[in-house]
Amino acid sequence: MPPRQQIKRETEQSILSDWIEPRQRVLDVGCGRGLLLEHLNQTKEIYGVGVDNDLAKVAGCVKRGVNVYQGDAEGFLKSQPKDAFDWVVMSRTVQELDQPGRVIDECLRVARRMAIGFANFGYWRNRMDALVYSRHRVSEVFPRAWEYDWRHNQISVEEFERFCIRAGYPIHERVYLRGDWRTPCHVLPGWRAGYALYWLERG
Amino acid sequence: MQQPEQVDTFAHSGEVGLVEWHDYESSRPFTFQNGDTIPGFRLRYETYGKLNAEGSNAILVCHALSGDHHCAGVHSIRDRKPGWWNNMIGPGKPIDTNRFFVICSNCLGGCQGSTGPTSINPETNRPYHLDFPVVTIGDMVRAQHRLVTEELGVQEMYAVVGGSMGGMQVLEWGVRYPEFVRRLLPMATTARQNAQAIAFNEVGRLAIVQDPNWHDGAYPPGQGPHVGLAVARMMAHITYLSDQGLDQKFGRERISRAAARTLFDAEFQVESYLRYQGQSFTNRFDANTYLYFTKALDRFDLYGESGRLEETFEAIRARTLVVGFTSDWLFPPKQNREIALALLRAGKNAGYAEVDLPLGHDSFLVHAPELYDLVERFLI
Repeated sequence: MPPRQQIKRETEQSILSDWIEPRQRVLDVGCGRGLLLEHLNQTKEIYGVGVDNDLAKVAGCVKRGVNVYQGDAEGFLKSQPKDAFDWVVMSRTVQELDQPGRVIDECLRVARRMAIGFANFGYWRNRMDALVYSRHRVSEVFPRAWEYDWRHNQISVEEFERFCIRAGYPIHERVYLRGDWRTPCHVLPGWRAGYALYWLERG
Repeated sequence: MQQPEQVDTFAHSGEVGLVEWHDYESSRPFTFQNGDTIPGFRLRYETYGKLNAEGSNAILVCHALSGDHHCAGVHSIRDRKPGWWNNMIGPGKPIDTNRFFVICSNCLGGCQGSTGPTSINPETNRPYHLDFPVVTIGDMVRAQHRLVTEELGVQEMYAVVGGSMGGMQVLEWGVRYPEFVRRLLPMATTARQNAQAIAFNEVGRLAIVQDPNWHDGAYPPGQGPHVGLAVARMMAHITYLSDQGLDQKFGRERISRAAARTLFDAEFQVESYLRYQGQSFTNRFDANTYLYFTKALDRFDLYGESGRLEETFEAIRARTLVVGFTSDWLFPPKQNREIALALLRAGKNAGYAEVDLPLGHDSFLVHAPELYDLVERFLI
């Protein structure tokens, strides 16, 4: 794991650790190798479940002793009763989903609270690349050019916040981080935030 | 207690090598779930590795319908094939015999050394045949529980592992002995069979009981409904494979065009393969056991009266990993997923992983690095 990637993960991890209370039930949609849930298991004694559709990642969870379900997010969410969890976490996953709005609805059915974080497509470097070069920026977050990688929905801060208003999901807290994904950013987040993390409520 | 013996001289690195089976005789009466009692029973089993002083490093391997206690190593250096899960079990293998004391026992009702319909009923001094009590998955597990606790001195089971019918036993262990079992690893299995699986079993059973040599189950040793049993096995064998698997292995390849003189001679490779499978099965398997075991499979139902699997799973304390196989159409991924989902709904520590191999239900038995990886990581 390159150290820069690790730094990117750590800031978000520590914010989520503040939000999530000890012994809560946490569902991580798009849990990858289970690093976040492992951390929360160790520090907060949570009951965690991860969902991912990649076997290699699922095997990583198994090794860490993290509960994991291999399959698609929507299918799993539909199998769960209302309020099965206290929290749903969705970190860097929303852009991969076919119908993110519908999945977010499901998340806020199975849990009252949801943490959702994504790379801001409105980040100024992305805008510059789009404006000047008419291209998707190839970056650490999206390291492959368009011809190799299907980028589902690239979401911007403004777009996401408009969705929350429309869908009626109050934003309880929001954290904008600069391009390094660790320095807080307060002015013009739509342009200057590289990463955004939200605490949504069911409403 | 008979000490498990292993002759290390012949063991090459990474293999359990020469192994022997043992017989456990339980002289206490055993009452089946249906209420019938037998005065005692025998289970044939093998063990590999050593039990630690705390009696806490045992892994029980549960075999499938036609499997047996011989899951690793060889009985003689002349053996053509090692035990049925030799690729999974051994020193340094996913189920590591350097770390674990591995036990594999034959099932009650079986025909490969354990007490079953061919055994002598001590009350009549004649074989039980159909007087043998109707056996359930739960009965098999309860008998094995006696073996591991009373004979082998296991204090707690590190893990119970198995595929197909073995997977059902794994689940049964978790529900029935929650305090005793630490980890459950069921694969290619189901909490209850669907109509399709029951339907296939029924065709197999009918092929047996319609064979004139069946004689209501009272056939002499070495004889019996060989044709019916072979047909049952041939059909069942197809359900363990897949379209793609059969195509890769045989395609439309012919034995020899000239050899097929009539409509009824084996002409295609796949026919000859199935005939061989059916025939060789009759040499090692008893038709009545086949009837008993397929019924046990059909009746196995963890959904219970409420129809809610999570209620049954309330009892489970073990960490569970369910593994399904994408191409398995006998116990399809959905049924494996349901097990994991119900466990998670019940707030248990559980997981589901799906391995994409083209070989159908029997995928859990083949060389599969992805599966090895999962098993190894789960048993850490």
